[in-house]
Amino acid sequence: MTATNQRTLSAIAREEGPRLRAAYPDVFRTDMKARAVTIGTIVLLVGLFVYGLSILETTWWRVFLGLGELGKFVVYMIPPNPETLSKALVYVHALAETVAIAILGTVLAATLALPFGFLAARNVIPSWIARFFVRRSLDTIRSVDALIWALIWVNVVGLGPFAGVLAIMTSDFGAFGKLFSEAIEAADGKASEGIKSTGGGNLHQVRFGLLPQVLPLFASQVLYYIESNTRSATIIGIVGAGGIGLHLYEQIRTLEYQHVSFIIILVLIAVSAIDWVSSRLRFAVIGVRQT
Amino acid sequence: MLAIEGLTRRFGAKAAVSNVTLEIEPGAFVGVIGRSGAGKSTLLRLINRLVDPSEGRIVCDGVDVTALSGQALRHWRADCAMIFQQFNLVGRLDVLTNVLTGRLAKVSTTRSVLRLWSDEDKARGLAALDMLDMASFAAQRADSLSGGQQQRVAIARALVQEPKILLADEPIASLDPRNTKVVMDALQRINKELGITILCNLHSLDLARAYCDRLVGMADGRVVFQGRGFDLTDDVARELYGLEAGDVMEDAHGVGAETRMAASA
Repeated sequence: MTATNQRTLSAIAREEGPRLRAAYPDVFRTDMKARAVTIGTIVLLVGLFVYGLSILETTWWRVFLGLGELGKFVVYMIPPNPETLSKALVYVHALAETVAIAILGTVLAATLALPFGFLAARNVIPSWIARFFVRRSLDTIRSVDALIWALIWVNVVGLGPFAGVLAIMTSDFGAFGKLFSEAIEAADGKASEGIKSTGGGNLHQVRFGLLPQVLPLFASQVLYYIESNTRSATIIGIVGAGGIGLHLYEQIRTLEYQHVSFIIILVLIAVSAIDWVSSRLRFAVIGVRQT
Repeated sequence: MLAIEGLTRRFGAKAAVSNVTLEIEPGAFVGVIGRSGAGKSTLLRLINRLVDPSEGRIVCDGVDVTALSGQALRHWRADCAMIFQQFNLVGRLDVLTNVLTGRLAKVSTTRSVLRLWSDEDKARGLAALDMLDMASFAAQRADSLSGGQQQRVAIARALVQEPKILLADEPIASLDPRNTKVVMDALQRINKELGITILCNLHSLDLARAYCDRLVGMADGRVVFQGRGFDLTDDVARELYGLEAGDVMEDAHGVGAETRMAASA
């Protein structure tokens, strides 16, 4: 294939090697300093991790000794059995309540967070003072976990699923605000510029330049949170904010392990079902692009 | 010798490439012409196996490329380098690293992932960049370069693959007239000096006539014309481009290619 006057790139690289080496010495010099910094950082982080484990009195042998106990629990749980049909129906009803809490709470949180996401984004609100206040308030709300919010809301509106919805809403409002604003900041500015060039105002730029870009991302984040909140809603149920959590806690306390495993399997089915539905919805929102 | 035998690719009910049979001799500079949607891109992507065929075979030097998988497929892809209209560089990596990704099929995974490139590979990368007058940009981030510069980096990446064939998918469609010439001249030099076979998709008949030894015209997924630049008569062009023929034939009657490109840019 290679005729007499033709050479391969490797041959050229060999011939020209010395000249290229002299012309671009930086390319061939291994940057020992940069490498030392990288290795040093890794060593430091590993050291910090090991130190952290040691001061928290991690006793691995206790985990190994406890493995037998864990096995016993599993044996107690088999087979999953709610004993009576009425019990089973009570659990299914409570699970439906949990799923409802998760969906309502997440949707409310996302709706409230949408305007704040834009207010906290640098490319929408150039004034840093306004952004600072929005961001810090989102941080404050986010720093309190859903479980704590549940305890607070139970005291405000009383026991029941309403407190659960409010708890999920408040804690995720902060999370969505942050995620939305970051997605907006990562969006491509060219589309907005195009809208601006047609004489569109600021609101038009956000509506037509930014929103179509970030909406699929928002949708996928919200759908993931609905799934994750189904699990969180189980936990907040324990403090009386409605749903399956209270039943789960009761059955663990009264050592009814076959009931416990039945409830766990119900939650598992619900979470997988939500995952299945949400992945389909996500693709529908994103719209598979033809190339 | 690259032989394409009855190659078909359907997307749903529509055939993007339909029963294409072609022979490409080593060292040729072949231009694939036709309007958008004629199946030119799909044909190139089929050869690189970025897309799998619905029917037919691709045979290169006696090896059935369509049957390759795993490691052998990766080596085939390295053997037929590809450059794209949108360059497909990794914008956040520096130019030399982008070029050295062309060695991935030949370097051990551990070394490449840790970016421990050998001096020989660095020399290859620099030599390729040097051929395209881009060596001084080696340490810059790829997304800081202009379109023409990025395309030259993409060509350098293709060169360090030391391919038998270079597939160029509309390499100049997003470039200005000056960069168009720089890139097309570079492809011609690679074809002549390194003896690499080039298969290049082009919109412009002008450029196709000026640079390619041989033209393949496609319409609706089929090959409707094969021959040299001067065989391409007005009638054939009309068949290839339909109503657009007036636009593309203008350049055959004296309007400079650069004016037309500037107008459409």
